[in-house]
Amino acid sequence: MDEDLIERAQKGDRSAFSLLVERHYDFVHAVAWRWSGNAGDAEDIAQTVCLKLGQAIRAFRGASRFRTWLYTLTLNAARDHQRSQLRERRNAANFLADPTSTAANDNHDQAEALWDAVRQLPDKQGDAVLLVYGEGLTHAAAAEVMGCSQATVSWHVHEARKRLKILLGRETM
Amino acid sequence: MNDDLKNLGRMTPPAPSPEARARALALAMQAFDEAQNTSEVPQGTAGVRRQSSIFNRLWSPVMNRKFLAGSALATLLVVPAAAFLTLELTRQGLPVDTNGQQVEVADRDASKDAEVKKAAPSKPNAYSSADKAAADGNAVTQSSGALADQVDTRVAEEPGARGRAGVEAMVGKTVPGQAQQELEFDAAASQTRRTQFAAPPAAVATESMTGGSIVEIMQSPAPVDTVWQAEENRDRFTSADTNPVKSVATDPVSTFSADVDTASYSFVRKSLMAGQMPDPDSVRVEEMINYFPYDWPGPDSKDAPFKATVTVLPTPWNANTRLMHVGIKGYDVAPAVAPRANLVFLIDVSGSMDEPDKLPLLKSAFRLLVEKLKPDDTVSIVTYAGDAGTVLEPTAIKEKAKILAAIGTLQPGGSTAGAHGLDAAYNLAERAFVKGGINRIMLATDGDFNVGPSSDEELKATITAKRKSGIFLSVLGFGRGNYNDALMQTLAQNGNGTAAYIDTLAEAQKTLVEEAGSSLFPIAKDVKFQVEFNPREIAEYRLIGYETRALKREDFNNDKVDAGDIGSGHRVTAIYEITPKGSPAVLNDDLRYGAAPAVQADAKPSGEMAFLKIRYKQPDSDTSKLITTPVTQSNAVPTLKQAGQDVRFSVAVSAFGQKLRGTDAVSAYPYGSILDLASAAKGEDGYGYRAEFLSLVRLAKGLGGE
Repeated sequence: MDEDLIERAQKGDRSAFSLLVERHYDFVHAVAWRWSGNAGDAEDIAQTVCLKLGQAIRAFRGASRFRTWLYTLTLNAARDHQRSQLRERRNAANFLADPTSTAANDNHDQAEALWDAVRQLPDKQGDAVLLVYGEGLTHAAAAEVMGCSQATVSWHVHEARKRLKILLGRETM
Repeated sequence: MNDDLKNLGRMTPPAPSPEARARALALAMQAFDEAQNTSEVPQGTAGVRRQSSIFNRLWSPVMNRKFLAGSALATLLVVPAAAFLTLELTRQGLPVDTNGQQVEVADRDASKDAEVKKAAPSKPNAYSSADKAAADGNAVTQSSGALADQVDTRVAEEPGARGRAGVEAMVGKTVPGQAQQELEFDAAASQTRRTQFAAPPAAVATESMTGGSIVEIMQSPAPVDTVWQAEENRDRFTSADTNPVKSVATDPVSTFSADVDTASYSFVRKSLMAGQMPDPDSVRVEEMINYFPYDWPGPDSKDAPFKATVTVLPTPWNANTRLMHVGIKGYDVAPAVAPRANLVFLIDVSGSMDEPDKLPLLKSAFRLLVEKLKPDDTVSIVTYAGDAGTVLEPTAIKEKAKILAAIGTLQPGGSTAGAHGLDAAYNLAERAFVKGGINRIMLATDGDFNVGPSSDEELKATITAKRKSGIFLSVLGFGRGNYNDALMQTLAQNGNGTAAYIDTLAEAQKTLVEEAGSSLFPIAKDVKFQVEFNPREIAEYRLIGYETRALKREDFNNDKVDAGDIGSGHRVTAIYEITPKGSPAVLNDDLRYGAAPAVQADAKPSGEMAFLKIRYKQPDSDTSKLITTPVTQSNAVPTLKQAGQDVRFSVAVSAFGQKLRGTDAVSAYPYGSILDLASAAKGEDGYGYRAEFLSLVRLAKGLGGE
């Protein structure tokens, strides 16, 4: 079904492309939300991804699965967004006393602390943890998204766990 | 942690707002249309040639690879020619009519090849300083001239010098800068350089003449200190310092835990058989000693689970010390009363197991074990690689065919995620739990148990918790190269199990069949030893081996502290090297402000050398019992020969182990003497274990160069 839509979109079929984006918007938004933990950011990221989709759909080759490609696009967009946010925040810090926007965080469940900790992880480790635990991908699928080997993903996850343990200062990991 | 992380997946994202969604879609369509527009315009100007000068257009086909191949070929021709020249010069010691050749080489060089930058014989390797000055002077005057010319002139001008020494030809892609540098006139520097680029022996020249490549020639003058790098070995061992000599005056009590593992001996054997001295850290002397079956007298009833036999004998490697040899034999549970067993095989089938001495050996080993079990016992199989999977639900041995078929289906593949496998194995073990029986997981792996999302401490905690619920864990190690000995030891020690290393089917037979009773049916747990030495008799002592099993003195009476376990029929042997008071071998000086004589006068029965205490728990009990034995002169034998055959053999093994570990005390004791000692005590040796030991000593003797 997706393949069909993609093929038509690549040939210039507007309605097919529109349908494709509509179908996957929720998925992209959900992933973006998990990465950013914030609804506003998630919408921004999802928008960027849609924009990129429009520009790049013709270049998409079926070598990887569409889902995997979407993950990659979304992850990159989320990362870019985070960086620009960081820059803004750093600039804002010159004027504001408390620049952190923790209040904007939509996670009200108990995973909040863990959540924050995961987002403090280095990029790759955070991605690996979110893909494996947040998205429920297998290590192999996560490896495909991240463009590295399965063993590397396992290692990232392992390192992340070690680091999380320190970040959370918990005994029973 | 796992659960916590899984919560990440359970978080439900808020629904995107319709406005944002519409905005994004509109934007996407806009981008799509824009891309459409650009994609319709042809990109680049295909029809029109790029603007470039006529020279470029003609030159670029010339620089085609085909032509470069031609110059590479020319290089290949130059190399043997230069080598030939070198050989000629070296052999005849006279500049024969080489000028013609050289010019020819140089011509070809200049016309066809830009790659061969330099064809220059460097200076003869041993000439006087006067010659050197002349030579270097020449070099300077010629540094501006063509390099090829320089070759010729030098050949012509320095016949005398060349006559006395071999000439080295260096042909290759020497960077121009380096060539320049070489020509710089600096006596000190050129001296160094000359030693660096020492003339290659004639053999090298010959080799290159018979078709050597540039690489070979360039390698020969390279610094000779490039060390051959051994293949990286990723086996991991915890290093433990060898037990030091302790003074009885300050430290009269020695405490350690029982250790019936044998993994170290198999590992040492595998290493020696492969022609390598084993890693000293991989040698645990006590495991080597305990590998061999000894005939210590055992207890008569189940109520006293073991009996200690102490022998004091002269030390073979030191005339001034003695050995206190403690042999302990556990009670042998008769097979008829052996409890029912519920075994779970947790098998690593990761890709690395795909070697003849790993998975296939493992399969055969487990087949042997299945043969040994009773019809009522149950067996289940869990594999772990990328995903953990249950291959066989708990199945009674009665259905042997089914079990054997399941073993047969095991295939290697994937990476290792041991934590999941362990969870699955514990689940199966709990399902088929036999109350009052044997509930044990047999973990078989070749190395890293755990690459997956779990830490060593976490594993340890799980295993300890399950041990308390009655499910024990034993470890069987396979293969070499990635073996994580440290983790395997930790797992087995925390799981009340044994760690064995299986390198051959014979070893599997020994561990799983002949000694199945010992490793499967524990008769005592948390077995601790404590020896108190009498300072009136003994000045110093040293415990041989048990480095990783040392306990604190106060832990002996603390029942909460975990220690080693002893199975049915197990033998444990501990050897102390003791220095009697007044012996010239005493290492520690007396304390100036030492013990008051009053303490000494506190009359204990004299003649006692030491007092041995053993604490153990029944397998199902949490309170420990105590066995004590005094060691007196009646335990002593005056000469080595009078000691029992098994005692002598175990002493030989301990000497060998210590030597492999590089222990000071036995460094002067040659392998030959160990060989004599062991072969005199070989005894009946039904299974050939001792004969094998002798051959290992011979191997070590050869490898160690003694």
